Amino acid sequence: MRTPARSGTIADVGRRARITRSGAVLGHVLVLAVALATTAGCTVSRQEPGQATAAVADALAQAGSAVETTRLTVRLLDADRVTTPVADAAVLDQVRVLEESTSALTTLVPPDDVSSAQRDAGLVAVADATREVVAARAWVAREAGGDLSEAGAVPLTASELQADLARAADDLDTALALAGGA
Amino acid sequence: MSRDDSPPTGVRVVDVRLHLLSRQVLDVDGEPVTTVDDLELVAADAPEDGRRDAVPGEPAEVGAILTGPVLLTRLLGGRPPASRWEPVPWSDVGHVGTAIELTVQADSLDVHWTEDWLREHVVGRIPGGRHDPEEES
Amino acid sequence: MKRLLGVALGILTAIGGFVDIGDLVTNAVVGSRFGLSLVWVVVVGVVGICLFASMSGRVAAVSGRATFEIIRERLGPRAAGANLAASFAINLLTLTAEVGGIALALHLASSVEPRLWIPVAAFAVWLVLWRVKFQVMENVAGLLGLLLVGFGVALFLLGPDWGELLRQAVPPSPPATEHVATYWYYAVALFGAAMTPYEVFFFSSGAVEEGWTAKDLAQNRVNVLVGFPLGGLLSVAIAACAAVVLLPAGIEVSSLSQIVLPVAEAGGTLLLALVIVGIVAATFGAALETALSSGYTLAQYLGWSWGKFRRPARAARFHVTMVVALLLAVAILMTSVDPVAVTEMSVVFSAVALPLTYVPILLVANDPEYMGEHVNGRATNALGMVYLVIVVAAAVAAIPLMIATGAGS
Repeated sequence: MRTPARSGTIADVGRRARITRSGAVLGHVLVLAVALATTAGCTVSRQEPGQATAAVADALAQAGSAVETTRLTVRLLDADRVTTPVADAAVLDQVRVLEESTSALTTLVPPDDVSSAQRDAGLVAVADATREVVAARAWVAREAGGDLSEAGAVPLTASELQADLARAADDLDTALALAGGA
Repeated sequence: MSRDDSPPTGVRVVDVRLHLLSRQVLDVDGEPVTTVDDLELVAADAPEDGRRDAVPGEPAEVGAILTGPVLLTRLLGGRPPASRWEPVPWSDVGHVGTAIELTVQADSLDVHWTEDWLREHVVGRIPGGRHDPEEES
Repeated sequence: MKRLLGVALGILTAIGGFVDIGDLVTNAVVGSRFGLSLVWVVVVGVVGICLFASMSGRVAAVSGRATFEIIRERLGPRAAGANLAASFAINLLTLTAEVGGIALALHLASSVEPRLWIPVAAFAVWLVLWRVKFQVMENVAGLLGLLLVGFGVALFLLGPDWGELLRQAVPPSPPATEHVATYWYYAVALFGAAMTPYEVFFFSSGAVEEGWTAKDLAQNRVNVLVGFPLGGLLSVAIAACAAVVLLPAGIEVSSLSQIVLPVAEAGGTLLLALVIVGIVAATFGAALETALSSGYTLAQYLGWSWGKFRRPARAARFHVTMVVALLLAVAILMTSVDPVAVTEMSVVFSAVALPLTYVPILLVANDPEYMGEHVNGRATNALGMVYLVIVVAAAVAAIPLMIATGAGS
């Protein structure tokens, strides 16, 4: 026999049992929490008209942030304040952000005409922004010494590029205003 | 506490659950050996030639600290056969404090085959596995 | 003189070691979206980690027992096992975020793809764990991490409107464009970033590694009480840089490359290069600490021989655990999950897991059987109770807030 005798007071044993039980419950809660959290990120398409508009506004705000980051990066690189690896990484990250905005918009199912129009305007603006940011990346690559001078779509100067990006940002703002965003 | 000694004067009451179970066991050099996963209880008046299982209602004492597969059965219930126990005889225990200190070296005990196996077959074979990090390299 | 040098070194490494990828990302995200309106959370978090770390350091120094040994003793094998599973998983998530952070920072330095850096970074972490002396490891990572002071320098060079920054911070005034739930979600995230549980595993086990005794308590207290608040100041500088440059431009931080743009704006390429080295060092140091913590927690629960101060062969299972944890982190990152997203997850779950380590430490710090005359004083206990409430409230609120806000989007 090697049962550890129930030594100690009854209260002590009871306390331990309680602690054990609450620990087990905590474990279950944690498992549930992890499961919920992993599914929480998957709510892309929203059904209510107000929610659809909010989703469009979210995606456009995200795209606006990406264009502004690109503008800042281009300005800093033009002023030689940032290294080319950082500039390239920054613009590349923004291309990915724009991809996310695009897929948030394309996978949305607008429940009514209003949000449908907002979505379409948003898609056009984001597509335009993506084109400009991709061009900015090519410009960054050329600044880094990559041999892209003959590539047709690459703007020649930073100011041209800045103007294009500013226009894309304005278009995004217009689309965002249409979707009721700030 | 030990079977070989009569209870010393100024007896210290040790609560098995509170002071022994799940305590860290250190060897004579202070190296961690195991945690007290369970205890073997034997009858207090064991004959000279061998130990006897504890009988409910009669005085019992701790025969050995158990480790190894016992942890799993303490978590899930049941009991492994005695052949699967990895015991540390209680006679090797020197002091019960915030850890249980043994009077022998970890290597002289046969309680951690996983550690030995990994030491011989994996960690010891990687270059630098037996290098003392506190020495200048 | 030598003593003074030791104190200075301890403080400096505490500052440099305070910021990890979680602090970096969360502070920049919060700064770019909420300005300085969440600075009060950094203050609460820093006071909390000071309390928590000094308590666990004291327990380790006086009783010689590290955190998870105590958790198992106090909770028994089952509850401690559940605690271990949760703590180990969240620590693994943090380790993943740190290794990913090293790779992202090296990407900024070299423009070589992060995916190629991930295995290299993990291997380098392992090599240091395998070979380098504990104190050398701590000091080098901590001192290089001090380069993050570049964020503070950048803030001064930017010459912001200090009055406006102060207005954002006191009283906290979040921008009208953000939802209240989002504000509180990021409050919890920031709290989790400042008070990550691994710091406690690491701190208490590190005390055993370095062989602290009750005599070292004064030094420990100085390191914590001076080093951590200064480290917290670095966190605030990161948030302020984002608040000054990125917030007005409407930029929401979602990548590491955005976090360093304000530094480039302020200090040009030289300061940028220094800060990137600082980020590599800070994430590398934190990767070492989290990898060690994965070994510490498991080994202490099961009573294995552990510690970097032993020959690897004398702590074989401990070293194997760390290798396995690193391999798991690499495997997770190789699914091309975004390390910044992993980081944001890890800080929130850190807040969830905090009571699991905080409560046992608080109990044992009051137990004269372990602590003798060094039990908590009345003031420490009063503060301890206040933080008990905060820690539990943050843990309970974290998951509902995460779901309600779609993880802050």
